[in-house]
Amino acid sequence: MTLNKDLRIKIVEMISRAGEGHIPSSFSILDIIHFIYKEFLKYKPKNTKWKNRDYFILSKGHGCASLYIVLNKFGILKNSDILKYSSKSGILGGHPDSTNVPGAEASTGSLGHGFPTAVGLALGLKIQKKKNKIIVLLGDGECHEGTIWESANVANNLNLGNICAIIDWNGSAVQLMPKDKLLKKWQAFGWKTYIADGHSNKSLRKTFKKINFKLHGKPTVILAKTTKGKGVSFLEGHGGWHHKLPNEEEKLAIINELK
Amino acid sequence: MNLNKTKKIRQQFADSMLEIGQQDKKLVVLVGDISHGILKPYAKKCPTRYYNIGICEPSIVNLAAGISKSGLNPVVHTIAPFITERAYEQIKLDFGYQKLGVNMISVGGSFDYSKLGCSHHCYTDVSLFLHFKNSSIVIPGSNEEFKILFKKIYKQKNIKYFRIPEYSHNIAFDKKEIVFGKAIKVTNGKNLTIVTTGTQLKNAVKVGKMLENKGYTTEILYYHTLKPFDQTQVKKSVLKTKKLLSIEELSSHGGLFGECIKSIIGIKGIQTEQMAVSDFIHGYGSYEDLCDRAGLNVDNIYKKSLKLINKKNKN
Repeated sequence: MTLNKDLRIKIVEMISRAGEGHIPSSFSILDIIHFIYKEFLKYKPKNTKWKNRDYFILSKGHGCASLYIVLNKFGILKNSDILKYSSKSGILGGHPDSTNVPGAEASTGSLGHGFPTAVGLALGLKIQKKKNKIIVLLGDGECHEGTIWESANVANNLNLGNICAIIDWNGSAVQLMPKDKLLKKWQAFGWKTYIADGHSNKSLRKTFKKINFKLHGKPTVILAKTTKGKGVSFLEGHGGWHHKLPNEEEKLAIINELK
Repeated sequence: MNLNKTKKIRQQFADSMLEIGQQDKKLVVLVGDISHGILKPYAKKCPTRYYNIGICEPSIVNLAAGISKSGLNPVVHTIAPFITERAYEQIKLDFGYQKLGVNMISVGGSFDYSKLGCSHHCYTDVSLFLHFKNSSIVIPGSNEEFKILFKKIYKQKNIKYFRIPEYSHNIAFDKKEIVFGKAIKVTNGKNLTIVTTGTQLKNAVKVGKMLENKGYTTEILYYHTLKPFDQTQVKKSVLKTKKLLSIEELSSHGGLFGECIKSIIGIKGIQTEQMAVSDFIHGYGSYEDLCDRAGLNVDNIYKKSLKLINKKNKN
């Protein structure tokens, strides 16, 4: 288990200050995004359009507080950007705007858009024989969207081995539609599947080592087991905290639990 | 004017892809399981840049956004209602919001698929694209128009919507007259301005001749480019005629007529009439049959024109 407690505190502070954000969803994916930027992705913090970079697309855009805090940690976003989150003078908001935010490769928010865009990006790079890797993170609830399966089908048929999808497998889907064989679905769509612990660097590292990202091959999906609200007992699960803002007392309780 | 009935505009689209695709390695063509027969020569010459994605229009548009992000120039082609109305959120978020470049090329606009019913009709597409600041809209009514206008703008990093009509207006213009963003003055006149687009130009020209026999002259303005809209031409014309009739196979909300009205705001004493599609056109039949149902036939246009000409001027 590799809980990034300090970053979780920063998320809560940023969201509380602005009065906007999805804390439990952000906590669900934070450790995955942190791992990707820390250990996997090739990028230049001061040149986010570097042509040889790897791409990370956050398809579940409402978890973007995690992305912002990680981009800040690795020198892509400034502290002042974080301080101005969701304010009229800032560039960061409740869903990422790729036209303004360095490091945000796609403007997401409406679910089911980032993933097919990532598949198109994988195809475009493959056509040009470019070796950039594409990581796309999507929610298990987002897998209710039809475009996920339309484009999963395309990626398999076009042998897009340069893309890896990570599912934030926190149970959002099954709490709504219990008959959900997510692993079997991805297998049926021809993707190479792995299961990992989305809160463990060790587990993610081990899994990523198995992916070869060949231009021509099976696309890969990692079903990353996560907990919505991970790290704070009363935020965990699928209760009323999805888009709820903590009051001052609750904020302190969250921070105290994370310290 | 010369008649040109040689080939379908859709075929010209395929020919243009072949020609441009061999020179421009950035051109990528995605189709939603249509036109694959006529695109075979392109597919053969550019095999890594041709994909029949199948029946998943919203995703095709998303894929095109990703392809655009990779630095290539995507062309998305399928039937108008599916690529525009069905995939509108994709168009909005990918190309409007994110300001990416794409070429969207539809067939089957309005009721071109006249025997297939309302599920395959599409009247709102032009209106939908008009909402984007970064869009261009072209209705190429002939092969030359498609060839010239596509080549002119396809590399631009914005939304380019080409609505290919099933039937050409069969009027050939001098190539120099076909200029992106510029209306073509088909006839000179002083009693009535008729503004039209697409296949309806054919009816407009017929009506112009009928009116001429009655002693009236008609100024016919033909718009192959709906956006950017050539405001100058229509403004100049109605200042002279004071009467404006627009004929379009598009929704009566937000199309050719709307653009004309915006162009003449502030000019007093202008009398206007719109002929457009105001509701679903139920029923089946030929293209002409559905034009009849929509009221877009020569007799009706002639009657409306006469009525407008004979209306007493407001000042």
